[in-house]
Amino acid sequence: MKPPKFEYHAPKSLEEALEALGRYGGDAKVLAGGQSLMPLLNFRLARPTALVDLNRIGSLAYIREHNGQIRFGAMTRQRTIEFSPVVAQRLPLLKEATHWVGHLPIRTRGTIGGSIAHADPSAEYPAVLAALEGEVVARGARGERVIRAGDLFQTYLTTSLAPDEILTEVRLPVMPAGAGYALEEFARRHGDFAIIGIAAVVVREGPRCTMARLATAGAGPVPVRLRAAEQILEREGLGEAAIEAAARRATELVTPDADIHASADYRRHLTGVLTKRALTRAIGVARG
Amino acid sequence: MTEHRAGATAPTALPRLVGARVARREDGRFLTGQGSYVDDHRPARLLYAAFLRSPHAHARVVSIAASAALTLPGVAAVLTGEDVARSAKPVRAASKTPAVKVTSFPPLALGKVRHVGEAVVMVAAESRYVAEDAVERILVEYEPIPVVTDMEQALRPESPLLHDEAGTNLLVSREFGRGDVDEALAGAALVVRERFRFHRHTPVCMENRGCLAEYATGSGTLTLRSSAQCPGLVRDVLSDLLDMPEHRIRVIAADVGGGFGAKASLYPEEIATCVMARRLGRPVKWIGDRREDLLATTHAWDEIVEAELGVDRDGAIVGLRAQVTADVGAYSIYPWTAAIEPVQTISFLPGPYRVPTYRGRTRGVATCKAPLGPYRGVGRPPAVFVIEGLMDRAARQLGMDPTEIRLRNFVRDEEFPYKSPSGIVWDRASFTASLLRACEALDYAAVRAEQSRARAEGRWLGVGVASYVELTGIGSAIPVSPGMPIATGTEAATIRFDPAGKVTAVFGIASHGQGLETTLAQIVADEVGVPIDDVRVIHGDTEVSPYGTGTYASRSLVLAGGAAILAGRAVREKMLVIAGHLLEADPADVVMTDGRWAVRGMLDRSVAVREIARAAYTGARRLPTGLEPGLEATRFYDPYYGTASNATHVAVVEVDRETCEVKPLRYVVVEDCGRMVNPLIVDGQVHGGVAQGLGAALLEEVVYDDQGQLLSGTLMDYVVPSACEVPWMEVHHLETPSPVALGGFRGMGEGGTIGAPAAIANAVADALVPLGIEIAELPVTPDRLFRLIERARARG
Ligand SMILES: Cc1cc2nc3c(=O)[nH]c(=O)nc-3n(C[C@H](O)[C@H](O)[C@H](O)COP(=O)(O)OP(=O)(O)OC[C@H]3O[C@@H](n4cnc5c(N)ncnc54)[C@H](O)[C@@H]3O)c2cc1C
Repeated sequence: MKPPKFEYHAPKSLEEALEALGRYGGDAKVLAGGQSLMPLLNFRLARPTALVDLNRIGSLAYIREHNGQIRFGAMTRQRTIEFSPVVAQRLPLLKEATHWVGHLPIRTRGTIGGSIAHADPSAEYPAVLAALEGEVVARGARGERVIRAGDLFQTYLTTSLAPDEILTEVRLPVMPAGAGYALEEFARRHGDFAIIGIAAVVVREGPRCTMARLATAGAGPVPVRLRAAEQILEREGLGEAAIEAAARRATELVTPDADIHASADYRRHLTGVLTKRALTRAIGVARG
Repeated sequence: MTEHRAGATAPTALPRLVGARVARREDGRFLTGQGSYVDDHRPARLLYAAFLRSPHAHARVVSIAASAALTLPGVAAVLTGEDVARSAKPVRAASKTPAVKVTSFPPLALGKVRHVGEAVVMVAAESRYVAEDAVERILVEYEPIPVVTDMEQALRPESPLLHDEAGTNLLVSREFGRGDVDEALAGAALVVRERFRFHRHTPVCMENRGCLAEYATGSGTLTLRSSAQCPGLVRDVLSDLLDMPEHRIRVIAADVGGGFGAKASLYPEEIATCVMARRLGRPVKWIGDRREDLLATTHAWDEIVEAELGVDRDGAIVGLRAQVTADVGAYSIYPWTAAIEPVQTISFLPGPYRVPTYRGRTRGVATCKAPLGPYRGVGRPPAVFVIEGLMDRAARQLGMDPTEIRLRNFVRDEEFPYKSPSGIVWDRASFTASLLRACEALDYAAVRAEQSRARAEGRWLGVGVASYVELTGIGSAIPVSPGMPIATGTEAATIRFDPAGKVTAVFGIASHGQGLETTLAQIVADEVGVPIDDVRVIHGDTEVSPYGTGTYASRSLVLAGGAAILAGRAVREKMLVIAGHLLEADPADVVMTDGRWAVRGMLDRSVAVREIARAAYTGARRLPTGLEPGLEATRFYDPYYGTASNATHVAVVEVDRETCEVKPLRYVVVEDCGRMVNPLIVDGQVHGGVAQGLGAALLEEVVYDDQGQLLSGTLMDYVVPSACEVPWMEVHHLETPSPVALGGFRGMGEGGTIGAPAAIANAVADALVPLGIEIAELPVTPDRLFRLIERARARG
């Protein structure tokens, strides 16, 4: 478990990084926290000619509020997010999700950009990005573009980022004040990737639900927005029957795969269970 | 036999150390990163090794082309199976019994590969990076042959054959019995039967296997540092395989980061590394990575047990009939052979119960998987899962409480020594007391009441009991594994005073996390009457220790502790003689007080230990006439049969109705390892053992697909419990001194792992009584439980 030889660049600015990346015509990889990339290198499953290390680019680590969005520099550590007062206030769902990401040492190195660019379908951040309808900013030789969550995730570990593009920023809309939220997850062990995770947000006005958001982790090759289940709540409100119906609908909206930890049937079953639990808890904390 | 108790005759006015919660002396260096593991050693001119491992589960090796690897800068040499065969004999785990078929286990594949991960070619290079690059450049042409991964299919005549020389995949076949079980079962009021499945596991030591071989051309000596449990055993077999006398081979197992039985066997990499080092005249080091560990360290358990238990109307056992089938993987391991797991399981199946009639058949079947080897408990985790599962089934059908049926069937205190139907003798144990104490510690009645309330609320709460007995500290009367080629019934201790009065105690055992440096020092200090800080314990180095094999099978405290008592007594006797001489008193009148040796009744006439030691080395002028100078003794100890160790575990769990997850709520252990040398260490051993047993019951499983590809090849896939998954444990002790082992000690390193799978399985089944679900397969993962529950609900 030692990586094959690679060239190593540690640029100090984004421009240098892009330039280095461009030089290899798609054969270089960006190194962020290394929590996913290093194992891939050590297993020799990834064999880039070069690594472009973003860790010295200070300007890529920030949390800013702008235009109703919270904007995260790609290199913002998960641990910074976990303890950010802005995140706690504006994006409590993201804060809750962060607790589920690995363990303390992993979050200390791991970045929000890396987690999203890596696009592990069982990861929490992609589910949050999907639930909150966030977007990411990508910079490449041809300039900058904004990619919406729905257009970003293609399949397992694959995004619509070009090999010579760097994800520079993650943008999440501020959650409406009083919105209820929850992230429910089931894993074999504390800190493991989700077998199934459900991110839920509800905005209520009395018994009515003006907005519901549900997204999955672990229920297929990409995070799945459970729009049809959300619509049940938006139509029928937040009563027990509606929650049950939404949870049932959720199980029909996913086509999970089987692996050695869980069969597809069990994952589908968990999708229903956790949707119900996430909604119940989200509704419990919702104000309005 | 009070004279056999350590300390009973010890001349000590120092605080007695045996029995005290002495903090582990080795932990300081472990916790501050000052340990001495194989990978800490980097001799000059060192080469690093990597292995090309088979991607196929079963294939002929047609050709190996290594030239592209050899031309890579930094590569020193490449070794193939044929190269090794020219300078080392093949490993054959011989057996004295015809019940075990003897097959070869070549260090590097010869002719064909039999499991994914089998070592095929070895590379030595300037760094591990280069060595791995070189491995990728070696071209091996394989011709795949049909694969068999299912142990029952492997028994069919049309199945692919792993070892032509055996002529069958059935490598082990044996039967035990007592009385006419068929008649007994035919007449039983109730017969419960089940097909149990205990899946494949692997220990996952924190330190992966690794070794470093150095051949000194000048002196013709070979030194192997290995992360191993049995340096003596490895030294002996290397002498044979490499055709070198034993006194020219030194095997060192200094600090070892866990073994759990999996480092008790000889491994291909150890031989290949020695061959490479001898050939190149340069030190060669191989450090296994986690992938190699999961692929090629021995796996464990993996058995199907079909068993039937007959009881009379009152729940008394009338007979037990069982067949064990073990998937022993591709090779029979040295020295234990493929028999160790399947024969242990069938031998221990009757448990702590009076079983008047018994027939147990056992089979070990070769398949295209990593070899099966010993792992904490060997055979007994599955055996206890089976017998305790059957006891609970019988109790449920008779409407008895699970504790009641056990109490009715335990071997009674007045029946010891008791010979079990498979021929094992239990010297003395506390079956009844341990169960009663566990119920008391748990407040059994209160927990049952809570369970009723929970059930009324629709919650699935369960209580699971498991009582077991194991044979520990096995002496020369019985082999640790049946028919195995080596003797393991003895260990020795050398206790030596230096002239300054400090003690060095040297042992052939090899502590790999058990805290033996502390416990053995406690025994030695008590025996010779010095403070523990004055005792240094050396172990795990064949060059300096008296003859011994190593640490395995819950033997070290019993055997090495017994040897320490004997050697300590011999030294003490000599100290009395010298003290008497120095004090001009009869040695019979010399007593030990406050670290000084004094004349009884005249405590002001005394000498310090240091003065006795100095006198011993000063020679004739200060010694009684004719007394040999020096102050040291080596003694061997053979406990002959060995001694029983027993425990009762009780688990309380809740099964989540929706996610089907099992949550352990309470875990009580009442164990009896005889006289405890150090309760702190006993607690620690129980904690670790239970954690591994819990992993076996709920989380861990080695999974292969039907083509023999390992699907659980990383620690994301092979799920071991972390601190978050391990419940708080309530550990209680009974101390029934062994009547047969010196010091009254019994072994207890494995016990936690033996009891936990059964206790948890029984608790889960108990929780699911409302659904009529029995647990016959471990681990009981949420996914398995989900399917069981769905099926039960469909039944209505
Ligand atoms: C034991 C363990 C447990 C874990 N458990 C979880 C868990 O429960 N949930 C979870 O979500 N994650 C988990 N992780 C993964 C962890 O969260 C990683 O931080 C994350 O997956 C990747 O982030 P990183 O910054 O480490 O990225 P890296 O590993 O450095 O990179 C990952 C991939 O993304 C690419 N990349 C990184 N940054 C950029 C960028 N700015 N632009 C373009 N491409 C980029 C890299 O080239 C690489 O392909 C776990 C990791 C470990 C080791």
